[in-house]
Amino acid sequence: MKKPAEIVIPETLRYAKDHEWMSLIAPFRVGVSDFAQDQLGDITYVELPEPGAAFAAGQEFGSLESIKSVSPLYLPADGKVAAINERLRDDPGLVNQDPYGAGWLVEIELFRPEQAALLMDAAAYRRHIGTEA
Amino acid sequence: MPDASTLRRTALYARHAALGANLAAFAGWEMPLWYRAGAVREHLAVIQSAGLFDTSHMDVFFASGPGAKPLLDYAFTRDLSRIRPGRALYGAFLDRDGHTVDDAILYPLGPDRFAVVVNAGMGPVVTAHLKGLPDAGGVDLREPDRRLGKLDLQGPASPAILWEAVDGADRLFADMPYFSFAGDFDLEAGGIRLRNGTPILLSRTGYTGEIGFEIFLPLDRMDETWDSLSRFGAESGLLPCGLAARDSLRTGALLPLSHQDIGPWPYVNHPWLFALPLKKDGSFSFTKDFMGASALHPEGNPHTFPFAGFDQRRVDPRGAKVLLNGEEMGDVLTIVSDMAIGRIDDVIVSLADPNRPEGWAPRGLSCGFVRVKRRLESGTKLVLQDARRKIEVEIVKSIRPNRTATRRLP
Repeated sequence: MKKPAEIVIPETLRYAKDHEWMSLIAPFRVGVSDFAQDQLGDITYVELPEPGAAFAAGQEFGSLESIKSVSPLYLPADGKVAAINERLRDDPGLVNQDPYGAGWLVEIELFRPEQAALLMDAAAYRRHIGTEA
Repeated sequence: MPDASTLRRTALYARHAALGANLAAFAGWEMPLWYRAGAVREHLAVIQSAGLFDTSHMDVFFASGPGAKPLLDYAFTRDLSRIRPGRALYGAFLDRDGHTVDDAILYPLGPDRFAVVVNAGMGPVVTAHLKGLPDAGGVDLREPDRRLGKLDLQGPASPAILWEAVDGADRLFADMPYFSFAGDFDLEAGGIRLRNGTPILLSRTGYTGEIGFEIFLPLDRMDETWDSLSRFGAESGLLPCGLAARDSLRTGALLPLSHQDIGPWPYVNHPWLFALPLKKDGSFSFTKDFMGASALHPEGNPHTFPFAGFDQRRVDPRGAKVLLNGEEMGDVLTIVSDMAIGRIDDVIVSLADPNRPEGWAPRGLSCGFVRVKRRLESGTKLVLQDARRKIEVEIVKSIRPNRTATRRLP
């Protein structure tokens, strides 16, 4: 398990309490945080929606299957899935190896871009995981 | 989840933390789930080279005295009239209803002296169960004065690693088949030592389906022995392994987890009938009378079968339905992904198969055990359904091929 100081939390992203991250510039990418992938352990399967599917903020849009469990993924903001990361089909371990880069999950078209302001910044998210650890 | 402050820690806790282990509560102990390499690489290491597990959370107790053998013969599902010195036996302790109290490995140490290795926290439960049986009066049942440590070295490279570590390997290995052991639980008296002087009991057993050893040793020698086995194994790719890899390895090897795959229902109609004292005439009758025997009817009791899926996807076993053509059949006892296997033209192939196609890499298959209301033929397709998804699986006779557990020592 990573020590709190080893958990990477990029300043440029915003975070939901369920450990998804979202980028603030288009394409609005969504993934899971370094903390989440470390807790879940090796990801063995990523279930993602079809492009075009729309979800409300907080709604389940897919799941991450790790060696330990099957965990739901929640969209951080209202939006429509514009693209999914096809590489995860063959290489789900990218979520572990590079959670903010090659391990991204979906790109979304935001219905209400102002919702991004409701998400946590890096400092707030670090405090949030401090309360969960 | 129990409060972390009440969890017990093994002698290697500091090693686990230093190795970056992801720790979790298991049966009252704070145990490694996986280390930095992750559970998938740990699982594959045991298939392809070797893995080292801290299994000191397991319990040991002793039964001794003139009444010990008759008591165990009545309480344990194996026929002790067939005991051979130096050979351990896997079996189960059942209650009056034929339900499983726990599974165990029994080590005969002398005509009136036995050691029994049971699951974590189960020593007091099983000894209390035994003390309640008729004729337990004259039998001395006790846990060790000082707890023992236990390390499992598993995988095809483990004989070569142990060869370096143990004193007199050539003599020992010459006659050490599957389920044999050398030494004594009175470790000093047993006369088997590692080259670093550590007295051990060496058992050719394990819980992974791969060739390997369980090593019992004094707690104060755990750190040094863990380090030296890690050093001897470094070149062959040995990895420290946690409980997650142990669970996926044992499932692929068709081994049950006590209190999950066997438990409070009759110990019958399952893949582990070798652990019952069945007569070889096909009559489903027993070679001895034993506790729980009268409840073990093949008719009227649920059936446990191994299954394998067609890809690595799983369902959440809690509350998952098992469906046969839409009919609810029972429940999922265990479901894991064995990441060393995949299917080629529907046939399960292991990464350990020497004839696997060049460049082929398995993506893993879901597998486990279902408990259903009637007998099913192997090849029967079932649907497992949880709140999120449905997956198709089939009843199988075996899960991971090319296992090495029973292989002769080189």
